[in-house]
Amino acid sequence: MTIFSTDHKVIGKQYIGLALFSVLLGIVLSLVMRFHLVHPDAKVKLFGALWPDGAPGGQMTPELYLSLMTIHGTIMVFFVLTTAPQSGFGNYFLPLQIGAHDMAFPVLNMLSFWTTALSLLTLLAAFFVEGGAPLSGWTAYPPLSGLGRITGPGQGLGQDLWILSIALFCVASLMAAINFIVTIIELRAPDMGYFDMPLTCWGWFVTALISLFAFAVLLAGGILLLLDRTAGTSFFVPGGLIVNDQIQTRSGGSPILFQHLFWFFGHPEVYIAILPGMGLISTILSTFSGKKVFGYKAMAIALLAIGGLGFVVWGHHMFISGMSPYSSIAFSVLTLAVGVPSAVKTFNWLATLWGGRLRFTAAMHFALGFVSIFITGGITGLILGQPGLDIYFHDTYFVVAHFHLIMGVAAIFAIFAGLHYWFPKMYGRFLHEGLGKLHFYMTFIGVYAVFVPLHFAGFVGNPRRYPDFKEYEFLKAVMPLHIGVTHAAYFLAAAQLIFLFNYFWSQRRGAAAPANPWGATTREWRDD
Amino acid sequence: MTNTARAGQTLLIAASSMFFAAFTSAMVVRRGLSGDWIAPPLPAWIWATMLLGPLASWLVQRGQIKSAMAAGAMLVASQLALLSNLRMAVIGEAFCAVLIAAHAAHAAAGVAALGRFGARAGLFWHFVGALWIYVLFLFGVWA
Ligand code: HEM
Ligand SMILES: [Cu+2]
Repeated sequence: MTIFSTDHKVIGKQYIGLALFSVLLGIVLSLVMRFHLVHPDAKVKLFGALWPDGAPGGQMTPELYLSLMTIHGTIMVFFVLTTAPQSGFGNYFLPLQIGAHDMAFPVLNMLSFWTTALSLLTLLAAFFVEGGAPLSGWTAYPPLSGLGRITGPGQGLGQDLWILSIALFCVASLMAAINFIVTIIELRAPDMGYFDMPLTCWGWFVTALISLFAFAVLLAGGILLLLDRTAGTSFFVPGGLIVNDQIQTRSGGSPILFQHLFWFFGHPEVYIAILPGMGLISTILSTFSGKKVFGYKAMAIALLAIGGLGFVVWGHHMFISGMSPYSSIAFSVLTLAVGVPSAVKTFNWLATLWGGRLRFTAAMHFALGFVSIFITGGITGLILGQPGLDIYFHDTYFVVAHFHLIMGVAAIFAIFAGLHYWFPKMYGRFLHEGLGKLHFYMTFIGVYAVFVPLHFAGFVGNPRRYPDFKEYEFLKAVMPLHIGVTHAAYFLAAAQLIFLFNYFWSQRRGAAAPANPWGATTREWRDD
Repeated sequence: MTNTARAGQTLLIAASSMFFAAFTSAMVVRRGLSGDWIAPPLPAWIWATMLLGPLASWLVQRGQIKSAMAAGAMLVASQLALLSNLRMAVIGEAFCAVLIAAHAAHAAAGVAALGRFGARAGLFWHFVGALWIYVLFLFGVWA
């Protein structure tokens, strides 16, 4: 296996490897955050050694917490959820499922992967430069992100590297999107119409279409932000700012403009994370029910509808930005409309199961877990989609709970389901089923134990992106809840060690798998 | 041109259009929100560059790739000359600079693509020429 391979299978595995590395790092960062939230005064030698400036004497500064949070969120959204389900599984299985010999542009494909890898290195480099990683979260709102070093230690070079990393990621994703779409349009087997494609391919197709339009806009926004920081422009920096007792000279820029550009990308991005999973779950539920997917065409159209609606709902992230109430109502109605195709999918999944001969493999467990998490996380989306409620919940832990479930956990369940399902194809061996189920139950319990209580913290008005709650009288009451959540997070992280062991052990020692172990009907299982 | 080459370029054009649409809408919003907008001063000769894109397209159609690349390179050179006179601290000029630089990047890529793929990269080049006319009208007329 050469490093700069142009073989779609190798590139698929490379993307999965990159995502696996990233998710482990993301989890470690989240554990450090969860630890700090319940022991804000602890002096930890290790922190002091890792971050001499961020944790002098082992005592974590608020800035370090925020930079961990920024890198955690950025890694998880971009380098885990955007890479594994689409570029990882998609590269490996899309050509096989449509009867193509490779992707349409193999060299471009190789370049996409290596640009993504470079982007990840650029992001991580932010930890090692003067001032450390940026503080402004995965959304990088100006003015905080637009003024440079004066707004905080990580806001100097660290923030520049962050923007550069995201710009590289955009370029890589655009190249990948073009490759996916051309492959589907031009390289399908002659006997395969669009509505003969497995729903997995529909998931990758719609995701690539969304990526094509969304990442182009993020790239534009990132360039403007970088110019505000380095070239003295004021696209986003407003006038009249005084930061750390210094008057800022620029004027006229609009921070809200950045929010529009960011969320025009940002909301479609959450569908980029979840749509490939939706396709995959449809296939897995159908295979292990021994039935065709119920309402195949409706499922494909629902994917298109979700993808399309995804471009007109971005304002629901900005209800408190002072937008006109009429705009709020429009964004709210459109947002709630996404519930319709989502419900179509959910009911069709249930109908696929109905009357089937269910086989409860590990992959099937994760697929069912996906449906459960998707419903739990989706329902709170309906709550946040209403301006009246969102104005209260915005920037509280209710939002943290919502997006972790619907975006983070649901997509990760789909990744686990896919790995269990396709492992025999990728390595000729099974992942261990018993370990897989143990991992499933611990993870399923773990994620509910971590994220359900956080909704209640949100009810109380517990703000997100706060490194330390003990300064606030009204938050004393939720500390026991946070202590419980932190313990649940340790448990959840420990459960992932089971998977890690299973993943590497099974590649060498797993039970040998026949050509079509699950009795699936899609093309990748035919001998190639 | 093969179908994959055509499809690939069409999608690239879609992505690039979105990229320019994002800059354009940012400009519309930014201009509308604050009272600090001054139309960027552009030299009159800039209108002559409008012809360079279509000229190169015509040369591509006639198979004169080298001459087309020369016309494209002239376009990029004139864009760099324009850029050196714009002040980033003035918002109208900053937007102008961003759009010209973004276009110059596309034009340079288009020239390189002509060199590498010849007439097969023609579709993208036609787009680059049309896009420049759009940028010129945006600043010459609207802004
Ligand atoms: C082991 C499981 C995880 C735990 C314990 C965890 C924990 C946390 C914590 C403590 C925060 C900071 C909250 C705050 O201070 O406001 C956070 C933020 C975040 N997490 Fe996670 N997380 C986990 C997995 C994930 C996954 C799988 C994703 C993928 C989407 C994700 C995406 C994010 C994002 C986008 C943020 C927001 C960052 C920001 O505010 O800019 N997390 N997480
Ligand atoms: Cu959204």
